[in-house]
Amino acid sequence: METANGNAGSAAPAQNGPQEDASGFKLKFCTVCASNQNRSMEGHLRLAQANYPVISFGTGSLVRLPGPTITQPNVYKFNETSYDSIYRELEAKDPRLYRANGLLNMLGRNRVIKWGPERWQDWQVGMPRVKHEKDQGSIGMEAGVPDIVITCEERCWDAVVDDLLNRGSPLNRPVHVINIDIKDNHQDASIGGGAMVDLADSLNRAAIEERDKVGAAVFDAGGAASRASFDERVPEVLGEWQERWPGLPSTWTLSWF
Amino acid sequence: MAADSTSTAPSGNGVSVAEQLEQLGAARKLVLENATYYDRIVKGVLPIIGPTAPVELRRWGAEFLAESLATPVLSMRDKENITVAVLDTIRGLLDAPGEDVIVLKASIAAAASAYPVAVRWIINNSYHTESWEQMSAVKSRILRIWDGAPVPVKLSCIKFAQRVVLAQTASNGTEQKYNGLDISLNMIPPNHPLLDPRQLEAEATGLLDRMLGVLQDNSSDALLVDATINCLSILTRSRPNTSNRILNTVLNYNPLKLANSPMTSKTRVLVRSLEKTTRMFLTHLLRRDPNNPMSGRIQQYVERLMRSRAEIFDEAGRKRALADQAVAGYGDAKRQKVEAGAPQFSVPPLGPGPHTLAGVFTLTNNAGLQAFDATQLPANLAAKIGVRTLAALDQNVLDLALNGIRDRLTSLHAAGAAAAAAAQPAVMNAATAPLGVEEDDDDYEPDLTPAEDTEQILNKLDNAPPEELMGHAADAGAEMALGPFSLPPPPTLDPDAAAKLSQAAASRVFGPLSTLKDPGAAVRKPKAGINRLAASSYDRDSWLTVITRLATRSTAGLDGAPSSGIKSEEGALDRPRASLGDSIRELLFTYILEDWRRRIEIAVAWLCEEWYNDQLTKRNGSGGELNYEKCALRLVDGFLSYITAQDKVLTRFLAEIPELSAPLLGKLKALCADPTTVQLALTSLLYLVIMRPPVREIALDTVAEIWTEYEDARPLAAKYLVKWRPGFIESQTRGTGSDAAAANSMAIAT
Repeated sequence: METANGNAGSAAPAQNGPQEDASGFKLKFCTVCASNQNRSMEGHLRLAQANYPVISFGTGSLVRLPGPTITQPNVYKFNETSYDSIYRELEAKDPRLYRANGLLNMLGRNRVIKWGPERWQDWQVGMPRVKHEKDQGSIGMEAGVPDIVITCEERCWDAVVDDLLNRGSPLNRPVHVINIDIKDNHQDASIGGGAMVDLADSLNRAAIEERDKVGAAVFDAGGAASRASFDERVPEVLGEWQERWPGLPSTWTLSWF
Repeated sequence: MAADSTSTAPSGNGVSVAEQLEQLGAARKLVLENATYYDRIVKGVLPIIGPTAPVELRRWGAEFLAESLATPVLSMRDKENITVAVLDTIRGLLDAPGEDVIVLKASIAAAASAYPVAVRWIINNSYHTESWEQMSAVKSRILRIWDGAPVPVKLSCIKFAQRVVLAQTASNGTEQKYNGLDISLNMIPPNHPLLDPRQLEAEATGLLDRMLGVLQDNSSDALLVDATINCLSILTRSRPNTSNRILNTVLNYNPLKLANSPMTSKTRVLVRSLEKTTRMFLTHLLRRDPNNPMSGRIQQYVERLMRSRAEIFDEAGRKRALADQAVAGYGDAKRQKVEAGAPQFSVPPLGPGPHTLAGVFTLTNNAGLQAFDATQLPANLAAKIGVRTLAALDQNVLDLALNGIRDRLTSLHAAGAAAAAAAQPAVMNAATAPLGVEEDDDDYEPDLTPAEDTEQILNKLDNAPPEELMGHAADAGAEMALGPFSLPPPPTLDPDAAAKLSQAAASRVFGPLSTLKDPGAAVRKPKAGINRLAASSYDRDSWLTVITRLATRSTAGLDGAPSSGIKSEEGALDRPRASLGDSIRELLFTYILEDWRRRIEIAVAWLCEEWYNDQLTKRNGSGGELNYEKCALRLVDGFLSYITAQDKVLTRFLAEIPELSAPLLGKLKALCADPTTVQLALTSLLYLVIMRPPVREIALDTVAEIWTEYEDARPLAAKYLVKWRPGFIESQTRGTGSDAAAANSMAIAT
């Protein structure tokens, strides 16, 4: 997949390292797209496979999937519809069509990742997610607060940042919100998923380096680069990542839960 | 376990740090599963995570405290209990000299969550001076380490200060009653023995200034600026006394300062982040609080910001473009040097012997190029090359080449005539007679080249009388001349096939769209306004104008007339076929819906054309079909199902299309079924009421219908109705009888 993007050479080294160590420190991730179906779920799966704690959401008002024509989308409610029920409904409606356009394949994947699409705006940050132990990527996510939110579209990033402003940051906990522009189709979602894992690995490495430094004394020793904390290194890591993935424009901010 | 002494817990029970962390992890899981354990477990871990514990335990502890004090599962009362119990530990962790950054960061976050809870506790339990002393000590310690602290700690300090300001300023009651956000100066009685409201408010003002300092200094430290801006929203919205101060500071802040430094990948991330964060904050306020007296200024600032951002990122594009031009110019200069020799360009006369047609037209001396078979090129590429070359070619060179070829043909005719005269059969084939290298021929094919003979014959022929030459030339040239060619007559088309083909033709019209560049994205060009000529530039806009006119006007008056005799002869079985215009309309509709947010302009342009065409049809009185209303309804139906609360394009669309009708606006009612889009629908209508007086009544009718039909939308609808149709709601509520029907029926055309 990465060869398809022509980035395999530079991205490959980032795949090693922390991933081998499944038990070490792990940043917690949250992926967000419009309907919590394609791009965020691809990211959810890939990050979970790389052993990162991860949850995922959609920012749309409803879950919208393509229908027989462009004016007849299949529309479902967030939080109340499971991937499995959508799968069964579409399969009953027109198995040939929905297999051909990849929807059944995608839903089949999603239903083994978690129960159903969740809406970002309805999510209560910090509610323990102990009931989700069957979800992929649930280990480490019990407290329900991610360190990094990755959105897949500028509109979703806007919605997330705006929603966080609206919530008024009651938890006093910083969160890096990063957008990666991924086109909403199966192939680009897959490329984007690989890019997310690359970003996650790079960020996690920076976070581990920060945690390995013990005590304030470290801050007085060494040059500026080694003194820089994880938070400070996020823009730098993202800039380097952007050079490896020039086709996926990114935006970042530090916000609060 | 035989634990090594360094990692043994101070409790001295011989358990290693790793094991202790594991036990603590299990305890944490327990409270996450059942919140009733919080009180016991938080108090239980306090001795293990104190300032003297190993750093791993302190980190875990501080993060656990931050998490526990922030959790939304505990009620305020439970939190008060825990908060009072942990203050001492937090104070200890913060006071320890040279404390670890992660411990400090988490402890300050915990203090930020503890602060409003502690204030609330003290308000109600003023006798408990000890807790307030501890909280105050924690506060002054945090404010002391703020300035010199490493960045992650600073972030937490900013947030702590924000919570202090929030708790110590007067609220307007618009914040959520959640997690201590609602604790404010309003709650503190003026005669409280420990808390002096005036003093607290003064402290808050000072702290707010300190927070805003990073913006006033016009800092480009994206982390601190983002962290500050992203926690200001609730202050601005719910603490009126801070609002002006914050807005003035943000509006004087220049997030694009960094753009002047060289753009590395990191600065690019930082500039985007600062600009986008500032803009998000301001647009958020505009949206939540459109009546803010500063909203005009905010609007201007946001627009200016977007313009300068576009310029900065455009600038990069423009610079590249200039560089490209420079390179191109340089290349041209070089090419001209070579072409200085062009006037000497000459067409070598053909060698003797028969030649292929290609040979006759070959001008180059390069053997490799001569061998190139141009028929291998795909036709479209060849055409492209041809057009490019002709466009760039110097007229003199072209004339030279034409004359050269003409000479060749003349000599060829002559040679053919001579050959006929000498009755000499052409024995050579093209492969053995390389063209344009006649001097060398003798070297390798000496016996096959009758060079001498031909020379002589040519000389002889030069002296021959011209009439004879002409006659012979005509005979010889017959082989090469093109005979009259007529296309085979096309197969007769049955109507179905014709319809199919016209549809294919229509879809081909859309072909160029994908290749034409979008002028809006790359280049900002000056708008010509009303002086604009449709389709005068070769970009996507022009092509779309052509398409919309093809759809609306090309067949106007042709397929509109229903009573043509031919049609009736075809019999009743003839199903209605889509005309060319309709199939283009169909494709245009799909094209717009594929990306309707960005193609809304096209939709408006299309509808304008439809409307205009309808007017023409009406004036002609030909009874042709009217399409405007149909298309407009269809478009609205098309994208309404995708609309979300952020889609302001709806307002714009409604404002710009030439005619609105009651059924069209009636579609908006469907939006009110979804609570998130109620506001969008109603503000769109309000805009029409204010800005388009001719449709004011229809728009108000629609608002009235929404008021009657959708319970959820009532408050907002009522607000507009009270202003614009006074008395309506009273009449509704008084005489519950539905005269909405009456309103329904009065559809007024604009």
